[in-house]
Amino acid sequence: MRYVASAFCAALLLLFAWVAPAMAVEPHCGLNNGKVATGEPIPIGSVNGVTGPDDFSSSGHAADAYFKCVNANGGINGRPIKYLMVDDQWRPDVASQVATKLVKDDKVVAMIGSNSIVECLANAPLYERENVMVLDIGVVHECFTSKNIVPLNQGPRLSGVGMLRFAKDHLGTKKVACVAWNLPGAVDWLCGGFKAWGKENGVTVENVIVDPSSNDYTSAMLQAAALNPDTILLCFSKGGHIQALAAAEQQDMGGKYKFVSLASGYVVGLPDTIGPYWNHRFWTDLEFTPLDGKGPDNQNWIAIMNKYGNKNDPRDTFSQGGYLAAKIATEVMLKMDPAKIDRASVSAALRAVKGVKSDIWCSTWYIGNGKRHNANHVGMVAVTDGSNWKPEGGCFNIDDPELKDILATEKAEAN
Amino acid sequence: MNLLPFVAAGIGLGSIYALSGVGLVVLYRSSGTLNFAFGALGAIGAYCTWSILPLGVPPVLAWAAGIAVPTAGSFAYGLFIAPLLRHRERAVRAVGTLGFALFILGCTGLIWGEAVPRRLTLPTDHYFAMIFSVRVTYTRLLALFLAIAMVGAIALLLGRTRLGLSMRALAADRNISSLIGIRVVRVDAIAWLISGVFAGVAGLLLADLVALNAVYLTFLVIPAIAAAIFGRLQSLAGAAFGGLVTGIIEAVLSAVPIATFYRSAAPFVLALLFITLVGGRRTAALHE
Repeated sequence: MRYVASAFCAALLLLFAWVAPAMAVEPHCGLNNGKVATGEPIPIGSVNGVTGPDDFSSSGHAADAYFKCVNANGGINGRPIKYLMVDDQWRPDVASQVATKLVKDDKVVAMIGSNSIVECLANAPLYERENVMVLDIGVVHECFTSKNIVPLNQGPRLSGVGMLRFAKDHLGTKKVACVAWNLPGAVDWLCGGFKAWGKENGVTVENVIVDPSSNDYTSAMLQAAALNPDTILLCFSKGGHIQALAAAEQQDMGGKYKFVSLASGYVVGLPDTIGPYWNHRFWTDLEFTPLDGKGPDNQNWIAIMNKYGNKNDPRDTFSQGGYLAAKIATEVMLKMDPAKIDRASVSAALRAVKGVKSDIWCSTWYIGNGKRHNANHVGMVAVTDGSNWKPEGGCFNIDDPELKDILATEKAEAN
Repeated sequence: MNLLPFVAAGIGLGSIYALSGVGLVVLYRSSGTLNFAFGALGAIGAYCTWSILPLGVPPVLAWAAGIAVPTAGSFAYGLFIAPLLRHRERAVRAVGTLGFALFILGCTGLIWGEAVPRRLTLPTDHYFAMIFSVRVTYTRLLALFLAIAMVGAIALLLGRTRLGLSMRALAADRNISSLIGIRVVRVDAIAWLISGVFAGVAGLLLADLVALNAVYLTFLVIPAIAAAIFGRLQSLAGAAFGGLVTGIIEAVLSAVPIATFYRSAAPFVLALLFITLVGGRRTAALHE
């Protein structure tokens, strides 16, 4: 009898081994016909801050992976996408130089998957003047104030307000120390916005502004502690979060204060990197669905990254945004006459985008004709759980007072 | 605001500046080269340690590799590249090391990138002493101890050994040193080797205390140069003291609202003040 049971188990294992690969999600993109596109390339650009205090290239890499998939599957009705991804080195002068080259020399029809601290500030007027639409990951104020720049994500301000809303409702937060880098707009737009939200919601918010080139995060944490908050909101990129949390751990601050962050903290592997001390002690906002979300679109993002991305490309929240940007641009162009794809026609078609549904967002998304764009304003939160992130609660509306004009335009355009 | 906790916080950072400053002065005193690749060498060592630790080897081997790799890199530069520039001005030799730094930075970017979140921890992070109500980890105290110990060891080497004498002769005049039979390339390479050991140790400590980030670590050479200037590029004790003071002042400035935005400029402002105020004969070394 024992032999029969063993044989049965072995057969089951063999069956599973045979079936499992077939069950893995196959990437789906563009025409999905398996034919390599060989027509005239369509140039699309992207500006990313790669070399500098941190690497902001994951959205560009995700868009690149998606376009590779599109090119291997019929392209844009036969025309492949020529994706030109450049590094601005976190320098406005370089950002301006590389964007001008992309727009004027390479004649890109759109900018897809950009992500940079300096590029919106440096290039927003250029994009408006040259009628180039930008589907990007917005990280500074200027990414959310232009007619031509359309962030896929919430942005740090909404991300922070969402985090504070969650902290107030679920963690009992009453007083917050907002620790942010001294970057353009950070003091007024970010921490100022959190203060304004706090005033309306009975939460005191005070600022600790850190020089981004500083090597000393211990002092920043001591400054935050000196304000006697119950919650410390970290407004850095992932590298800054690691440094700040390491400094806080050395001062054993994890048990005394609630540590929360913008969505930039939501990175696969970060719970492992910061270590077991932070287990269930570090919350972060999510701009998109959890990275291991089981929805079909999120699974497709993972499948595309696995097949067409580089093994070392991060699978983070910005990567999800880059995937969405590339997917939307592809679907828009697929509906156009391939012979008539140029900058003007792509920009007009992108502006007409509305009612986009994806399990990666908490709500529907649109572009529209607004003077500025911030369509992603429904958030989620996750907490460190062992080596992973665990979502806490569901989707919730972010109640930033700055959203009034966006909500009014949404209503007027029925988006 | 009570500034004493910030003084305690600055001790750790200052100790690393001190250690790095001493590493720069050692090489400058013996070969007359200001090594801009010091931070980059430390960075590649720290990355090697980070990569080796998860392989299950004894941690001590991973740390040793973190010191051995920059030491080998520095030694190789001293043996093969530095001799090619030996007859050029000091500024040209310094620029040569800047090229070496950028080469290493490119290599770390190519091999490891910056996309994956990383952190390097040492066992000494888990133990601490309370100073002015601040936890000062043993890693920070280790940095301070190493800075002081290495100043003593190098002072003995330079002052009491034949190799040290050769190094000092080389720094004074390479041509005459060569004429009196000193093996210039060999002594030079040993100075580079010692500087590489300093870079490796400083890199491991900095990766733990600051960040495991090649760009950060590479450019940490700049405050280290400020520390070395406090030692007039000659005095080991002066560089160590300058580094410590610089780190403490930088930390204290973070508690001063008007200065907090600019505190990372503190090392250069202090070095500039030092050059201006001390002036005269003492800056002679800098004129070179």
